[in-house]
Amino acid sequence: MKSLIKQKEFSIFAIIVLLCIVLSFVSPVFLTVGNFLDIMEGNVVMAILAIGMTLIIITSDIDVSVAAVTTAVAVTIGSLFGHLPNSWVSVLLIFLIAPLVGLIIGCVNGLLVSRIKIPAIVVTLGTLNIINGLVLYFTNGQYLNSSNLPAAFISFANYELLGIPILIYLLTVVAVLTWYILKHTLIGRSVLAIGGKSQSAVRVGIDEKKIKMFVFAYMGFLAGVAAIAQTAYTKAVDPNGMLGLEMMVIAAVVLGGTNIQGGRGTIQGTLLGVLLLAIIENGMILAHIDTFWQKVVTGAIIVFAISYDRISYKRQQAKLTKIEVEA
Amino acid sequence: MSESILQMTNISKTFPGVKALDDVQLDIRKGEVHALIGENGAGKSTLIKILAGVYTPDPGAKFFFEGKEAEIKKPLDATMKGISIIYQDLSLFPNLTVAENIYIGRDSDKKAWTKVKWKEIKKIAVKALQDMEVDIDPNVPVEQLSIAQQQLVEIARAIAFDAKLIVMDEPTSSLSEGEVEKLYKIIEKLKSRGISVIFISHKLKELFKVSDRFTVLRDGKYIGTYEAADMDEPKLIQLMVGRNVTYEKNESTVQVGETIFKVDSLSKKGNFADISLEVKKGEVLGITGLVGSGRTELAQAIFGVNNPDEGSLELNGEKITVNSASDAVKKGIAYIPEARQTQGLVLEQSVINNMSLPVLKKLRNKLKLIDSKLEVSLAEQYVKSLDIRPALPKLPASNLSGGNQQKIVIGKWLATQPKVIIFDEPTNGIDIGAKTEIHKLIRRLANDGIGVIVISSELPEILAVSDRILVMRHGRISGELSVQEATQEKIMSFALQGQGSAKTPVVNTESGQVSQEV
Repeated sequence: MKSLIKQKEFSIFAIIVLLCIVLSFVSPVFLTVGNFLDIMEGNVVMAILAIGMTLIIITSDIDVSVAAVTTAVAVTIGSLFGHLPNSWVSVLLIFLIAPLVGLIIGCVNGLLVSRIKIPAIVVTLGTLNIINGLVLYFTNGQYLNSSNLPAAFISFANYELLGIPILIYLLTVVAVLTWYILKHTLIGRSVLAIGGKSQSAVRVGIDEKKIKMFVFAYMGFLAGVAAIAQTAYTKAVDPNGMLGLEMMVIAAVVLGGTNIQGGRGTIQGTLLGVLLLAIIENGMILAHIDTFWQKVVTGAIIVFAISYDRISYKRQQAKLTKIEVEA
Repeated sequence: MSESILQMTNISKTFPGVKALDDVQLDIRKGEVHALIGENGAGKSTLIKILAGVYTPDPGAKFFFEGKEAEIKKPLDATMKGISIIYQDLSLFPNLTVAENIYIGRDSDKKAWTKVKWKEIKKIAVKALQDMEVDIDPNVPVEQLSIAQQQLVEIARAIAFDAKLIVMDEPTSSLSEGEVEKLYKIIEKLKSRGISVIFISHKLKELFKVSDRFTVLRDGKYIGTYEAADMDEPKLIQLMVGRNVTYEKNESTVQVGETIFKVDSLSKKGNFADISLEVKKGEVLGITGLVGSGRTELAQAIFGVNNPDEGSLELNGEKITVNSASDAVKKGIAYIPEARQTQGLVLEQSVINNMSLPVLKKLRNKLKLIDSKLEVSLAEQYVKSLDIRPALPKLPASNLSGGNQQKIVIGKWLATQPKVIIFDEPTNGIDIGAKTEIHKLIRRLANDGIGVIVISSELPEILAVSDRILVMRHGRISGELSVQEATQEKIMSFALQGQGSAKTPVVNTESGQVSQEV
């Protein structure tokens, strides 16, 4: 018997294939390499955030501040570029500073969740609002376009290797790194252990505080990376550009088979979840369906997926015998 | 053989308001199987959690491990010394594979970025499983295993850790007979390697089969350590139960009226089977049994929270169906849960708000808004009649003592004017003085004509409040006693008897009751 996770990943893969077949009839453009590269590049930001979110959801927490943190870092990048010379050194510097800023914000979330033991939803709702407020205060909601960004950064953003945009390589690095952490390091296995049964984790000597701290810090770090990707992809900094993206990120993770109650989830699954949402969006645009229907469809899929998850969990629970009644 | 591997002395543990352990000691020899026994709440689990480093004992406690003074402050300290604990609810990770479950915890002191050696993990797991001669695939997630297999995985983990002392808390409670036999063989094997085992179980027969010595705890106190050869079952039961009954046994002879409430052959798979009982006007029906005998599951089934597969309920001669808690309340059944603070009360809210909660609909005025004057007078009425102290209905429930909180819960349910009240562990975590008061209150409710069922694992309490006592074991009623004939010893033997082996009819000679074991 194959494990549940495999089944879940397989079923989402099957849905994607089916959808691709349908869409290839709807639009001749859909099943082309160019369109697929577009889909992938357009969703690098969501994918990077979803990868970080996977670890958090595996520990049975949640982070709703991801989009806000990404925006905050993007705004920081934007204003730093105003002071930096037009050189590749500046781009390199941004690659150091952006993840660092994200990491610091992530650590604040992590500290509040792991040390003061405030539920993660409350902490991150708080930081979400603080950050959004501060971003508006500092930017006045003003949009920076490509003329505000150094040419070195623009050429980085446009760079393609073997015909594949640089951002897709960036995503690949993030995905492989996180997969390695989750699968092959002690801390990654501890993430799964805590999500599986935190009481058992404590009994075998796993430091729950440290692990929670790590997943939130790492989420912040990836939000910093995502901010670079966002700035590179849009070649602009929009303080309002990512409002509500956190919900899509969480949706992608859950669609990808990560259990919202923790303990289960893979990077591969999450990437498939992102791909599914991306294809729906792309397909509907190609089919000239109004954008509000995209939201309805996405929402319906999320509700369906989570209901399915919940119902199968309940069934599984009901099967467990509480007391061995003598026959 | 007589060399000690573990000595614990001066072990006390105080929880807010309760002294769970009072100057307890434990001495375990190398390569022996040592049974730790006592009634529910005697302090066995607390002692084990102290040994495991989960609880810190009160100052003054001393540990000696392999002859040297040792400190156990956190779970890792115990693991590193070679102490493995197999908890009743197991410490496995359902989402991880067998191999990983066996290995996990070994590297807990290493750096976070240490690479996980999958090959080594598998090798160690395979070896540990082979050592035990069990056939379990190390690559499947633990959630796909039966409980028995899961337990074997835990033991394999202990072996893989080179444990010198393994604690097994109720290891056989969810095993079939064949699986139990297998476990005994594994324990024998552990013994022959010089590994010591602390065995906790309520099944006295099996304790005699496997144990070399017994340590008996009662009410958090150390009673003694005995060689198995010098012991027999009746002696052991007497030591566990003791003579010091803390409250007066109920001596009242009540005029029993007509049947108020009747349960007819209620069954639910994996919870309880074929339960029939009657509650008559004026009497208190006590239900007892060990933890895991199905008492609470039965109560929840009656209250509509845990729907049964078969059977029926009858209230005042009429058949009723109860599909949810609100159904039960409407029909006049009240359930006062064991976890008073989490299930019975909204702690932050005032006494008034807590009491009016189930009857808010009745407290509405013409505009369908809650009439706060009615609410206050309702609360004041019960504060007075139940003697809740301090008599300040505006105080948040959290500010009252355990006994008074319990009275709020009782008042809250009385306000619904129930016909039947089920108390689940009514004095759990309440100090002795308040307990007697709650007992009196329960008796009073029965006198007032409410059908009262009291579920309790405290035998003195059952004897103090009940007129009739049902004993449950393994989801079935294993005996019925009137309070006049009941003693703690008799109840215990019904709760324990024949476990795992006897399938013979249990005959209670004094009352002529026969409960057939099928």
